[in-house]
Amino acid sequence: MSGVIRAILGYYFLVFMMRIAGRRPGRQMAPVDFILVFFSGGLILTTTVGDDRSFVNAAAQIAAICAAHYMLVVLRSRYPAMGRIVDGTPLVLLEHGRWRHKVMESMLIEDADVMSSARDQGVENLEQIDYAILERNGQISVITKDSE
Amino acid sequence: MPAIHDTRPIEDSVPKINDELAVGSDLQFQQRWEKLESIIWIFLFIFLLLSLAGLFGRGPLSNVTAQAPDASMQVDYERFERFSTPSVLTVRVNPASIKNGQLQLWVSDSLVKPLGNQRVIPQPERSELGAGGITYTFPAFESSASIEFQMQPSAIGKSELKMRIPGNSELDLNIYVMP
Repeated sequence: MSGVIRAILGYYFLVFMMRIAGRRPGRQMAPVDFILVFFSGGLILTTTVGDDRSFVNAAAQIAAICAAHYMLVVLRSRYPAMGRIVDGTPLVLLEHGRWRHKVMESMLIEDADVMSSARDQGVENLEQIDYAILERNGQISVITKDSE
Repeated sequence: MPAIHDTRPIEDSVPKINDELAVGSDLQFQQRWEKLESIIWIFLFIFLLLSLAGLFGRGPLSNVTAQAPDASMQVDYERFERFSTPSVLTVRVNPASIKNGQLQLWVSDSLVKPLGNQRVIPQPERSELGAGGITYTFPAFESSASIEFQMQPSAIGKSELKMRIPGNSELDLNIYVMP
């Protein structure tokens, strides 16, 4: 199989697996998430490179991955449904002083993760939070009661 | 003259929660996605089990021993090979097949392509092309002998490998090369 095809398949396979693996990357990445990302990347590298260590192969594969990524981004911006499949949808974690615990469980997010993001925004305790939203990029946005 | 910019008015395009905060959340999609995710996890788990069992190579389901109908030889091989990955096929020869201090073994062309034979151990005394394959001649004593073919498949899919000790019955092997 051509190295270019292997690179494209490897790219889409990793996009798929990272989407399935649950907790979203982004600002919420913990060391354990880094292991998943880098270990998977290293493993897919062995099959995409194979025994062809030439510059031409590397250049062709990088071009292929860039094209595959560009296509995904274009599809994502043109079709909202594609955006939801690739990135998911923003999810409300906390609303008017109450946790949406089922959403949190399914996204493997804990109270401490929300509080960690809240502290970044100068919030001192959970009671001050009106809304906490898990964004598509993995960041948790916090809207405080004062900011209304 | 002022610059003309393409603009459009702000619309209520991002769905709100409690009619106050524009989040754009889609809980229905999320619930459908979670169902799909659980189905995908089941498939991944089955894939993992089959992989451990050797259905995709390198496992108990893959390692096979085949014998020629007249018991002139036995072959240990991997039924499921992996693309561009080294493997070993071992032929164990019945001592009765050794004649005049020589052992001859005919192997079909598929050994070279697509199965990618890299090396034969021991080194044959002669290799002759013909009859849709290669006939190897090894110096041998009248005791059981084994020959090892080190392979590295170069194509994906099913390959038929035929082997025969001249004057004896043929052994047909089906080898599946995984991507």
